[in-house]
Amino acid sequence: MSKSEKRYSRRDFARKAALFSMAAPLAAGTARAGIPDSGFGADEQPKLPADFPKLSDRSRAEVEERHQAILKQYGEHLSKDQKNDLKRLSFLAQPPLDHLREYAVKNGDSPALYLKPSVDREKKPPKPAAAPVAAAKKP
Amino acid sequence: MIGEEILYLPITELAKRIEAKKLSSADLTKAYLDRSEKLGPRLNAYAKLTPEIATQQAEAADKEIRRGHYRGPLHGIPYAAKDLLAVKGVPCTWGAKPYANQVFDYDATVIDHLHRTGAVLLGKAAMIELAGGMGYRYASASLQGAAKNPWDTKCWTCGSSSGSGAIVAGALAAFAIGTETWGSIVCPAAFCGVSGLRPTYGRVSRYGAMALSYSMDKIGPLARSAEDCARVFSAIAGHDFNDRSTLPIDKAAFTYSASLELGAKPLRIGLLTNAWKKLDIAVEKAYTAAQRVVRTHFPGTRSAALPEGPWEDAGSVIIGIEGAAAFRDLIRSGKVTELTDPLGQIAGYVNEQISGPDYVRALQVRDILQRKMTELFDTYDVIVAASQPIAAIPLETNLETDLVFPDPLGAIGNLCGLPTLSVPCGFTDKGLPIGIQFLARAGNDIAVIRAARTFQQYTDWHRRKPKLV
Repeated sequence: MSKSEKRYSRRDFARKAALFSMAAPLAAGTARAGIPDSGFGADEQPKLPADFPKLSDRSRAEVEERHQAILKQYGEHLSKDQKNDLKRLSFLAQPPLDHLREYAVKNGDSPALYLKPSVDREKKPPKPAAAPVAAAKKP
Repeated sequence: MIGEEILYLPITELAKRIEAKKLSSADLTKAYLDRSEKLGPRLNAYAKLTPEIATQQAEAADKEIRRGHYRGPLHGIPYAAKDLLAVKGVPCTWGAKPYANQVFDYDATVIDHLHRTGAVLLGKAAMIELAGGMGYRYASASLQGAAKNPWDTKCWTCGSSSGSGAIVAGALAAFAIGTETWGSIVCPAAFCGVSGLRPTYGRVSRYGAMALSYSMDKIGPLARSAEDCARVFSAIAGHDFNDRSTLPIDKAAFTYSASLELGAKPLRIGLLTNAWKKLDIAVEKAYTAAQRVVRTHFPGTRSAALPEGPWEDAGSVIIGIEGAAAFRDLIRSGKVTELTDPLGQIAGYVNEQISGPDYVRALQVRDILQRKMTELFDTYDVIVAASQPIAAIPLETNLETDLVFPDPLGAIGNLCGLPTLSVPCGFTDKGLPIGIQFLARAGNDIAVIRAARTFQQYTDWHRRKPKLV
């Protein structure tokens, strides 16, 4: 098994095209290793896949931050179950971001995003220059 | 009385009969409408039938043909359009409750193009809500409920072009229009035993289509054969001033004639060794046999490998953030909770949290991937893999927990906007279809059509019919 296969050992099928967190590469590891040791009580720990990767402290903090930001903005509209599910989704969102950030990209690597500038003006004939008129006034 | 055997004919055959005036579009349309009214609800295939439009267009087609004005192979041919394409005056629900009463006062460019060819609109095909843009856990994530597979109505058709797959497989129309952001044409084609073309990004205008992911959404046909897909594709492809993402005129347009293939250079085929980590036993058996067909008819076929990298992560981040942007108002207004699926009700909140730098990083990764794939296509014209590693799944499957596997080819193909064509290549012991896909460099849609068409010349899987009574 290649390194890549290990990293992509499990992947969500239907959600991959919808929720970025669902395409999380769930690397070999244990659920226990992946669950944060701070921020959530034992009864509130989200149910993560058995092979969810162990997150760094920084990533765990980011998960917490993400979850809190959602609760702050939308919490009053959410049920307890939805809040708990969002916690789980906040975790699942992290590995793809970590993998992307790990991938070597140089400052000069341009993003595959382009804007087609409007070229309509270029199609119009240029306005006649005023210079000949001015020149005609000259003796 | 038009029998089922006629309704299952490919467009190419129906067109010959219509042109020769041996079959009227009105009769054909009525037969498809009758069948759609009878079987459509059983399959949850349609969002809405449009019999008035269909009857009017079919009668107009017959009238023109009688006068000697035959427009071409789609003239008088009935079809269905995924319910995210605007049709003037007809509800366009995007498969979602918050948009249940949405009506546009114009036609999507694809609908307009098909109208100009003389094709007959039977109705709007059911779909997964918002094309799965907010995520979904169950096949039932649709205003119409789970689309049922004509090969086994206890199984799903796959999404998000779920109704389009059911309609073509059940012979409720001659072809259907679907869309793909990641897997939504290829998977229904594979699960439903039909042919599905995901064209190069930018060749088909998305004007009038629901946007999920601006840089990844594509529109394409599902039909009975690769040649049928080519015929429809040639009708809908082209630059559109209303869609700035379409390619320039000379790059977007597509003209197809089977004779184009005569004298063409032999295709260099690569059989992918790492598209799927593991195939289901039945899929492996069928795909192995299909590989033999490919090797036999494409001399010089070799093994090929996809480049490794975080392609799925990049694709997911791009779709996530673009989807959150496309449905920002829905998410922020709280109306997203009106969606059917429990995952769809909340996943947008998470996607909204993706940062700008992470999005740009994903786009940088996409650029690197594009260069790697360009190198791969210097060696191969077409790369080949099983369309899916499994056959159709039960309707009640929890997609989130019970259906997980890596899909680097789906990520690569959609991130880079590459064309692919999925065609049937066998069946499981339970009679469920299995698919094989042919994928090529961006812009080389003709190569995937040639490869799939050649495959279908030496196989008959695409001619099999489900037993729907």
